[in-house]
Amino acid sequence: MSDPRLFRLRATFIEQGRLALLSHLEVAHTLERTVRRAGLPYAVSQGFSPHMKIAFGAALPVGVGSTCEIFDLQLTEYVALDAALQALQKASAADLMVQDCRYIEPRAAAASVAFPFSTYRVECADPVEEVQVPASVTVVRKKKPKELLVADYLAEPFAVDGCGATFTLEAKPTGSLRPDVLCGCCEFGSPVVSITRIAQHA
Amino acid sequence: MAAFESLWEELAPLVAKAERPSRYINGEWGCVYKPEADFRLCMVYPDTYELGQANQALRILVNRVNACEGMAAERGFLPAADMCDALREAGLPLCSIESCAPLRAFDAVGITLPHELAATNILEALDLAGIPLHSADRGEDDPFVIGGGPCAFNPEPYAPFFDAFNVGEGEEMLPEGLGLIRALRRQGAARPEVLRALAALPGWYVPSLYEVLDEDAAQQAGSWLSPLAEGVPPVVVKQVYGGFADSPAWEPCIVPYAEVVHDRLNVEVLRGCARGCRFCQAGMMYRPVRERSADNIVESVMEGLAATGYDEVSLTSLSSTDHSQIAEILARLNERLAGTGVRISLPSQRLDAFGVDMAGLVAGQKKGGLTFAPEAGTQRLRDAINKNVTEEDLFGAIDAAFAAGWRRCKLYFMIGLPTETDEDVKGIASLVSRAYDRARKAVPPDQKGSVQISASVALFVPKAQTPFQWDGQISPAEAARRVSLLRRSVKYKAVTVNWHEPKTSLIEAVMSRCGREGAKLVEEAWRRGARFDAWTEHFDEQAWADAAQAVGIDLEAAAQRSLPSSYVMPWSHISCGASSEWLAAERARAAEGRLTDDCTFGPCSSCGICFDLPVRNQLAAPRGKGGAR
Repeated sequence: MSDPRLFRLRATFIEQGRLALLSHLEVAHTLERTVRRAGLPYAVSQGFSPHMKIAFGAALPVGVGSTCEIFDLQLTEYVALDAALQALQKASAADLMVQDCRYIEPRAAAASVAFPFSTYRVECADPVEEVQVPASVTVVRKKKPKELLVADYLAEPFAVDGCGATFTLEAKPTGSLRPDVLCGCCEFGSPVVSITRIAQHA
Repeated sequence: MAAFESLWEELAPLVAKAERPSRYINGEWGCVYKPEADFRLCMVYPDTYELGQANQALRILVNRVNACEGMAAERGFLPAADMCDALREAGLPLCSIESCAPLRAFDAVGITLPHELAATNILEALDLAGIPLHSADRGEDDPFVIGGGPCAFNPEPYAPFFDAFNVGEGEEMLPEGLGLIRALRRQGAARPEVLRALAALPGWYVPSLYEVLDEDAAQQAGSWLSPLAEGVPPVVVKQVYGGFADSPAWEPCIVPYAEVVHDRLNVEVLRGCARGCRFCQAGMMYRPVRERSADNIVESVMEGLAATGYDEVSLTSLSSTDHSQIAEILARLNERLAGTGVRISLPSQRLDAFGVDMAGLVAGQKKGGLTFAPEAGTQRLRDAINKNVTEEDLFGAIDAAFAAGWRRCKLYFMIGLPTETDEDVKGIASLVSRAYDRARKAVPPDQKGSVQISASVALFVPKAQTPFQWDGQISPAEAARRVSLLRRSVKYKAVTVNWHEPKTSLIEAVMSRCGREGAKLVEEAWRRGARFDAWTEHFDEQAWADAAQAVGIDLEAAAQRSLPSSYVMPWSHISCGASSEWLAAERARAAEGRLTDDCTFGPCSSCGICFDLPVRNQLAAPRGKGGAR
């Protein structure tokens, strides 16, 4: 899929404030428009229905914010990194601001699979003493209830710190446990105010 | 006055739980925020964000008011049903998008009236906003509620709910009126004084300043309304934006996060249509025809795409392929946009080979379906409605389309048009069957199986300010019989006939033609739970039927009543520029099956627009080349 003549730009961006309420598809559309507004020389697929060659990282649930979202964009010409970043930032909304960009190898793994581990920060209204985590969580998939064992997904346990906690989930090829669903089933002893993805790693 | 402050903190928990939060979150690319303003308008579209955000009137008027120093315009939409209920339960009012401030804290609230099925939504919005529903009940601290848009051409069924209406194009009229309200309020003028001053402005209609006559008196007097004060005009004439053709076609727009209808760059290439279809209200409302130049359009498209980042641009108007420079515009845009993946779309196809050529210029390799609107099945009826399209035009279009690679074609028809007979209904079947034959002949032998022709059939709704305004709608039972006749007459199984049960068409017909008594019906229907009437899943037929009974209106009789052309209609005090005499003459020509020329191609038809208004047809180049009708 990678054309070696193209330049592959990986950008990270934040998703915060009211824009944490956007769906993955809405964010994707917005980023495509951001790239066009930025005037970058984006590559266009050939064929029946030409479209921008852009790929997005793992989806973020509606309502969950992030400091570390990713998209990969293929360019037809090399653009200096600071010029690309400046153009993207000028075309971005403050709450969906591009933070950084760099070129990656044409054969590097796609953003959606390169970082199976996500670390989240959950903020509560009051100081948290401990988090009670259930052994399993029931989710509905294809209209059928399915029981997920939390231990299968929780790569690093909840670390309590001030008014909240930090935890890491692993996305599996067979599916993922949503951080908001997990937090909804945990006991923090205080209402959850926000959930934010703070790191994605391999 | 309610405090102008953001209620976002209170609203946020509801938004987080709402069906689609992105409808309510603000901060879209391109939105304008003017907290320093001392006079504020909230422009409301009376339906959900995804239907209203792309609305052209909202976009233009918000821009126009924001361009005035010291004045701010924000947007408002009716929340979806789940959010309406959540707001009520939480005791929170309807708020604007930009400041998230309560609507009742604005100086003025503008509501566009896009179609006949939005009436109950207007009451839903006012009620949610905590603004008294009736103009008469509003106090000094309440906003001025101003209506406009297509339904302002028969504003009577909305009259009690509005302080004033804008008749015609609001580009200049709205800022002028708002400026007057602002100036008078600063001087401490009371509400009635402001309304009297507004009534003296061209195009402003203040319904409370008229006495409503009964039917007999109205027919005697030649108008249903009689001014109650000096300086209140007996007839309000629509306003036309004279600077349209020379103004930039790039009208700055907001790029929504949510997926909305018409989610693309919309560039208005021309305004008005003089084809003169006798059922068409838009054709009468937006005259005269004004074209923007090819240079203006091409530069505006490039500027708009750069500013918004859209991947599609639509060249909008009532009939874009009638633009005298359309071939040049499309060729230049194709060249400029090559390799960018940006698509161009034309919202309507002219029904001839030229129309197909133009569609071919923008389709690229992807040829989905083409849509044409012959409207009627026989030449006799097409002549009666002044559709001015022949079978040769249609078949020429079909030949060209299927030879060029299209495999699907949808044809729009109306049933119940004035003078329609069973022969005309069978004529629809015959026409689509023969279109199918032509299409199969135009494609290679191995692709004949992929040819799809469908007919979409809608029920005729008589519209105010048209030659057919005096004609009644056929009954639901008769409509069902005619559609059944049509279905039986189609000889191919491959040709599908789409017909939607026209429960709402009855309400549309009533709302389109009723007088001020219709307001009681609307209010009663809303009190009985009617809202989102244009949404199939929300339309509550029973609420309307019960309301009609409660207020003593016979819906079917009101919809089906045919009247002599001498009958004075309830909107005779509103002038769209085309004279009542001309409309009556057009109706007479319909009965005789006589065509009337389109004055942008042929001679003047004396509709009267150019006599009363300071604007004429403005064409970028002479029309007719490359596709004269």
